[in-house]
Amino acid sequence: MGVRFPSPALKQKMKITIEETKEMLHKLLDNSGVIMLYLDNHENVIFCNKKLKDITGLNHEQIIGKNWLSILFRNKNSIIKKDLLKAVMDDSIKYKRGKDFEGAILDKEGNERFIAWNLTPIQTENNQIEGNILVGHDITETKERESSLKNIGETLKNIFSGIKEYALYLINLDGNITYFGMGSETMLGWNKRDIIFKHVSILHNFDSAANLQSILENVRNFGKYETEIDLVTKTNGTIPVILTVNQFLDSTGKLSGYIFIAKDITERKKLEYQIFQAEKLAALGQLSAGMAHEINNPLFVISGRLEMLKDERLNQKVKNSLNLIGAQTDRIRKLVDRILKFSRKTSPTFEAIAINDAIELVLPLIYYNNLPMSKIEIKKNFEKEMPKIKGDLHQLQEVFLNLLINACQSMPNGGVIEITTSNFQNLYAQIQISDTGTGVPPSQLKNIFMPFFSTKHDGTGLGLSICHNIIKNHNGSIELISQVNQGTTFTIKLPFN
Amino acid sequence: MVYKILIVDDEEAVRDLFSELLKKEGYKTNTCATGEETLELLKKENFDVVLLDIKLPGVSGLEVLKNIRDSYSDLPVVMITGFGYDEDLISKTKQLGCSGYIGKNMPISQIITTFKQFVKSAKENGSNT
Repeated sequence: MGVRFPSPALKQKMKITIEETKEMLHKLLDNSGVIMLYLDNHENVIFCNKKLKDITGLNHEQIIGKNWLSILFRNKNSIIKKDLLKAVMDDSIKYKRGKDFEGAILDKEGNERFIAWNLTPIQTENNQIEGNILVGHDITETKERESSLKNIGETLKNIFSGIKEYALYLINLDGNITYFGMGSETMLGWNKRDIIFKHVSILHNFDSAANLQSILENVRNFGKYETEIDLVTKTNGTIPVILTVNQFLDSTGKLSGYIFIAKDITERKKLEYQIFQAEKLAALGQLSAGMAHEINNPLFVISGRLEMLKDERLNQKVKNSLNLIGAQTDRIRKLVDRILKFSRKTSPTFEAIAINDAIELVLPLIYYNNLPMSKIEIKKNFEKEMPKIKGDLHQLQEVFLNLLINACQSMPNGGVIEITTSNFQNLYAQIQISDTGTGVPPSQLKNIFMPFFSTKHDGTGLGLSICHNIIKNHNGSIELISQVNQGTTFTIKLPFN
Repeated sequence: MVYKILIVDDEEAVRDLFSELLKKEGYKTNTCATGEETLELLKKENFDVVLLDIKLPGVSGLEVLKNIRDSYSDLPVVMITGFGYDEDLISKTKQLGCSGYIGKNMPISQIITTFKQFVKSAKENGSNT
């Protein structure tokens, strides 16, 4: 049997078929939407489809026969590094398998296009590598979408971390903290790492677990729960907050936890307390004034009658008793006087006052108060260039005298009083009077300016409240810091205007 | 010359005490317990000085002072009060034309001295307005 050759007609038909296939493959390659390159063993391009030319704007001559790196690595700043490409190629050849990698090439406008590449070695029947096929998929748009999503995420994260007045934390259904964000760390002092997955009761002064359960039940029933509550900080302090608890639903709408948002209301509480104190003081002032008036009348009669008895002929025993009654009456009279002074709302008469001089003038008066002055040293650090302030000289001197006498009384065994004046940014004069005395226990600091509150056995408890009122009438402030057995420092600020 | 003082206070003990203290100082005295009584008495009797409590039931001391100023422009009035040395009250009574101001919380000797000084200067000046 001889070899049968195809007939010319068949040959013609086959030729057409080969042509058609070739054309079809070309169409397929050119319209596939991916970049295709065929590299020989020297890594030079021996074929590329239309897509690469469309993207890069390079023509046939600029591509064919050229090393693949010179085509893909045209941008020095490209995120594809030559070394990476070489490594990919080596890997692909060594392990004889396809490799995926990402990189950018320059388009004809000079913009970067992100391409997901696949480099696959072509092997002969006897496993020899005769070249590589490089396929690239343009993923620029996907990348951009990803990056803008990432940006939104970043922005949200920045916004969240920028909010410091609110603490936002999430708990799961077991009550364990799963997120601790916004101002949580700053407000509560806990580090995210240390508190995640701890039970939320660590932050709450709940009387019992039932308390938390009742809150969460409220949230489940009404969608939201709001309350004023104290949160516990890491150092076991408390911060007053308005707490709002909401349900945290997963993407299917199923309850997966609770969102806690806490707003720090320390400042508001402080203000409320000040207003409350001011109102209380005002009420007390009125009450005191009324009472003092009622006491003054009988007191006047008692002292008047005593005065008249002085001229009578009485035996010594009676006279001694009357003197004692007189002395005690005088004591009451002085006390009532202080109460009246405290309750009085006289507006100060303002004049320009040199603070340093005002203090200097008061200093000699301390010595008339039976104080252990021989054991007390007074240091003065006066600001030389001190502008004058507007104030009532007598009232302010009463304040200074009061503070200085208090300071001396707190040092029965002697010590040092330091008086410092300074000009704070031309806004206000600052006067500090500190002693090395017995100090005020922390529990009493809160009440120190309250009328009738005294740390001394024989104090009326009005001195500091009068000082407070006077300074307040001058639009100034008076504060103290104190440590038991270390001493006390009073700081007065008086505005220049 | 012996000055005649009208003492006005709603408390009997205060009236009596002032009366006795001032008599001891050589003054003649009469007393009233209310503002209404005072204005009635002033129509019938002449006084050199009125010692007038600020806080009176009914017609207050300040109203009595205003009335006296309107009807008896030359009659010196010294105000007394249990409210002590109150600058606001002092300036108010001064505006209304009183000659002096005495707090019941002052020591007795000081009250008498102050009162005597007020009477002296009011009489020397003739008028207080």
